[in-house]
Amino acid sequence: MNVLITGAAGGLGRALANECGRRGYNLFLTDVNAEGLLCIQRGLERQFGVTVTAKACDLTSAESVDKMLSVIDTNHIRFDMLLNIAGVDFEGGFMGREREKVVRIITLNDAAALRITHAVLERRRPGGHFTAVFVSSLASMFPMPLKATYAASKRFLLDFALSLRQELKDQDANVLALCPGGMVTTPEAMRGIAAQGFWGDVTTNPMEVVARKTLDRALSGKATYIPGGLNCTLSLLGKLIPRKWIAAVVYRRWNYAQNKWLTVKERNACCNAK
Amino acid sequence: MNTIIITGATSGIGLASARLLAAKGFRILAVGHSKENCEKARSAILAETPAASVEYFPADLMQQREITRVAGELTEYVNKNCGAEVDALINNAGCARSWYMTTDEGYEQQFALNYLAGFLLTHELLPLLTKGQGRVIMTGSESHKGIKVHWNDVMLRRGYNPLTAYKQSKLCDILFARGLNDRYNAAGVHAYVVDPGLVHTDIGNKSGGIVNLVWKLRKRHGADPAVPARTYGWLCEQAEAPAGLYYRLCKENTYSKQVTSENADRLFALSEQLCGVTFGKENLV
Repeated sequence: MNVLITGAAGGLGRALANECGRRGYNLFLTDVNAEGLLCIQRGLERQFGVTVTAKACDLTSAESVDKMLSVIDTNHIRFDMLLNIAGVDFEGGFMGREREKVVRIITLNDAAALRITHAVLERRRPGGHFTAVFVSSLASMFPMPLKATYAASKRFLLDFALSLRQELKDQDANVLALCPGGMVTTPEAMRGIAAQGFWGDVTTNPMEVVARKTLDRALSGKATYIPGGLNCTLSLLGKLIPRKWIAAVVYRRWNYAQNKWLTVKERNACCNAK
Repeated sequence: MNTIIITGATSGIGLASARLLAAKGFRILAVGHSKENCEKARSAILAETPAASVEYFPADLMQQREITRVAGELTEYVNKNCGAEVDALINNAGCARSWYMTTDEGYEQQFALNYLAGFLLTHELLPLLTKGQGRVIMTGSESHKGIKVHWNDVMLRRGYNPLTAYKQSKLCDILFARGLNDRYNAAGVHAYVVDPGLVHTDIGNKSGGIVNLVWKLRKRHGADPAVPARTYGWLCEQAEAPAGLYYRLCKENTYSKQVTSENADRLFALSEQLCGVTFGKENLV
């Protein structure tokens, strides 16, 4: 099984790379972080003895992606699975963020995912089953004030994945949209979850479990995967309750959490400055 | 002047040991995560002991490239200023994590920092330790008792539990000390584990989730870090290398029956593979 993973040098991408390595899959890893990519390549080879190819790439640049594709084509690599993990978020209100940072959320989370998916589907192994995974989010189920662009970018991925799945159904392929709640991908994410208090803790999913079950579900032909019983319930409520009410509740919660989180960050910044 | 290298030396047990040993006249080469905290710790030691010889080397020991980098810096410094020999290496840096988190290599963080970092750093500094007939001291814990190494899933990917990960990492520390003694006692290097007991440190503060909560309550009953520091000091001061393996309050103590040469050899082989090194092939000075 040949698997291409984007965003493989950190967080969920690294956890999925580990899970694939444990299963003995051959890996082609990419990430914008070249040094981190070399580290995870080395770690996977040492742990599992699998074949790992790594190529640093900025997925938001067509030129950078073309260079990576030329490496793939030169080595005649053909894929059985694509895990679209690369993504970005910047916390805060829409007008409180820099314009280009807002645009970058869409450029990476959506446009880059389409670019690499199209390219890899053209390079799927002939005659074999193909599996693609998109990392959407629990945020895709609701309007999310203060995470508006991020949530919308994840809604795009959810709808796109479902549509693409239908298009490819007769071509021996499955597409899964993963919709996790919070995950402790970095120390920063850990602090963010802590700032949300009770709701942060109960909607957080263990990353290693999500990685394992994502592969299981994608390979068994599922369309979506929402980890955790509470998150499944919340997504159901998102379909039943009027969306403007949800927006009001979410705004209150995020406003509280982000104020708390930013206060801590500002306090730390202040201490560091001293 | 005898030279001692201490990791995790900006707070808790590591800082207390650095303070004590600096006051006793040892030259301290300390490793800490943040440059800022390293500067604070150095100032604190010098304020107490103005004549102390103490240098700090910032490094994130969670990442293997950082371990090899700082080992290179330490080796250069020791070769230039300390006669190319080290009298003791105290592998003390550690962490606790509520959630499964990985290093850049994709290794579970408690296993990587509490155990594997000490394994790799010891390997990198072995020429200096051999020349100094040095001692390697690991920070252990009584919690290593009643657990086995999960050989089929050492990173605990299938069923991560923060306490299991912590206990296993501490069992690995003792197995490493045992394996090191089996291999290097003849060359004059001796390895020990200090059981510090329950100590009032900040180890659980950055762990998030349940560990953070439990540790806040539990550490209230912990001893001052200066208490276990005395055992590190005692092990470093003895003219003849003490014969035991596991020490608490300056006395030999009992440890798990899992600590066998067979398990130590198995862990050595796994760790060499995970670090990409082979003990016995280092360039002895």
